[in-house]
Amino acid sequence: MNERIAFANFHPVSLFFYFAAVLIFTMFTQNPVLLLISLFGASLFAAVTSTRAQIFADLKFYVPVFIVISLTNPIFSHGGATPLFFMNDNPVTLEAVLCGIDIAVMIVSVMLVCKAFSKVMESDKLLCLFGKAAPKLAAVLSMSLRFIPLFKRKFAQIKEAQTALGYFKSGSLSESLMSNARVFSALVTWALENGADTADSLSARGYDAGTRKSFSLFRFKKQDAVLLILTLALSAAVLPGFAGGSLDFDFYPYITVPGTDGLSLISYSAFGVLSLIPFIFEVKEALHWKYLRSKI
Amino acid sequence: MKKFPNFFKYLIFLLLIPAAVLSGVLLFDSKKYIFIAICVAILACLPFFSAFESKKISSRKLTVLAVMVTLSVIGRALFSFIPHFKPVTAIVVITGIYLGAESGFLCGALSALLSNFIFGQGPWTPFQMFAWGLIGLFSALLSKPLQKSKVFLCIFSAISGIMYSLLLDISSTLWYDGAFNLSRYTALVLTSLPVMAVYAVSNAVFLLFLAKPMGEKLIRIKIKYGI
Repeated sequence: MNERIAFANFHPVSLFFYFAAVLIFTMFTQNPVLLLISLFGASLFAAVTSTRAQIFADLKFYVPVFIVISLTNPIFSHGGATPLFFMNDNPVTLEAVLCGIDIAVMIVSVMLVCKAFSKVMESDKLLCLFGKAAPKLAAVLSMSLRFIPLFKRKFAQIKEAQTALGYFKSGSLSESLMSNARVFSALVTWALENGADTADSLSARGYDAGTRKSFSLFRFKKQDAVLLILTLALSAAVLPGFAGGSLDFDFYPYITVPGTDGLSLISYSAFGVLSLIPFIFEVKEALHWKYLRSKI
Repeated sequence: MKKFPNFFKYLIFLLLIPAAVLSGVLLFDSKKYIFIAICVAILACLPFFSAFESKKISSRKLTVLAVMVTLSVIGRALFSFIPHFKPVTAIVVITGIYLGAESGFLCGALSALLSNFIFGQGPWTPFQMFAWGLIGLFSALLSKPLQKSKVFLCIFSAISGIMYSLLLDISSTLWYDGAFNLSRYTALVLTSLPVMAVYAVSNAVFLLFLAKPMGEKLIRIKIKYGI
């Protein structure tokens, strides 16, 4: 599904650490510089990995979200020392408006990073990640993943059969609810029996015998090590700014000026590189592919 | 022999919570509450997962759990013709009642994780896992009265639906504001009120129709295959 995304070819471990770092730094800060960097990186990656139609659909979703969140913030917080005007005797302050925009940037960039995460980390990657630490849970999850399409197909078959028998009606809402519930009930019976059969088949092949392992195709290559080391090194460079408090940012009562001392500059540049990695990698691979094709 | 490492494991989980609080306060000053909340939600799920891993569990039990998780995930898609009408909670409750506390918690947590692969992962995933897990756990603890009285079943499912959305709204408030802002929380709750109402009603309706037949099926499977 995601052959088009070059960044998805990395090993799950490297990808997991990468996204965890970006998400943590985006979610748990109020610093507008960091948030804008994150939004910039995430939107560039979203732009190169989506079709034009998807980009338009995304804009249609994220722009209203952005506007609603930034506009409604003054309703919820009346802190701040610079009132712009009064609404129902409550001050609408400059600080609250800017804080709203800040929150909106944070939420939209977290959503975009999560979207990139879902695009890149398919379920098989997650199973590879946790398969060793939690083999039984991984087994349950991978069985469920297989059951989803199976049960959907079975549901359609039962529905067809019941329609042919004249059981399935979809005239009114209550009728279609009852009919679907009847199909669902038949599905449950079949699913449980089928599950027990699956279990017997597993046991017959010695699934209970040894320690459980999850199958995975992923091999840890040189480029995965590079991404992992890069992620850890850049995060280590961002963190002192957090710990030292130089990245702290307050909107109330007065807006603080973003820190420009050495620590925060290091954090900004490190986070800038970190959040641009997927985009840069994507562009690099695309150019490489173009170059290879031009040689043919 | 086996008890000892388990004891240490739980001790580690208990020590990790203050560690999360400390690192939240030290590192993420403006967003410490949501950082700590997410860490605690994840840490609260871990003991259940680790207990499940360290036990010997037959493959039949594993597959039945996988079936229940799948049913709750696809139920969300199958009944999508009525908006917000989702049987997830109902199936988690049924799993809790008939298969026990551990299966109930795991069914809830794994359903949240798995269905978010389809509907989108986000900062809400740990809270959903924990909230649905708790619903499964509580329905197992209350399994006797829930089996006996249909009224209690309906009330329980409606309340769990309401508590679920109240909890998730707390997490969004903490995330947006960095602290608990009551006016934003009220606004979030008020805007989600219609969805919450549909959710509570649909939980009750599904359980009313599904609890008995599905319970009978689960009991039958348990007797037939000795799970």
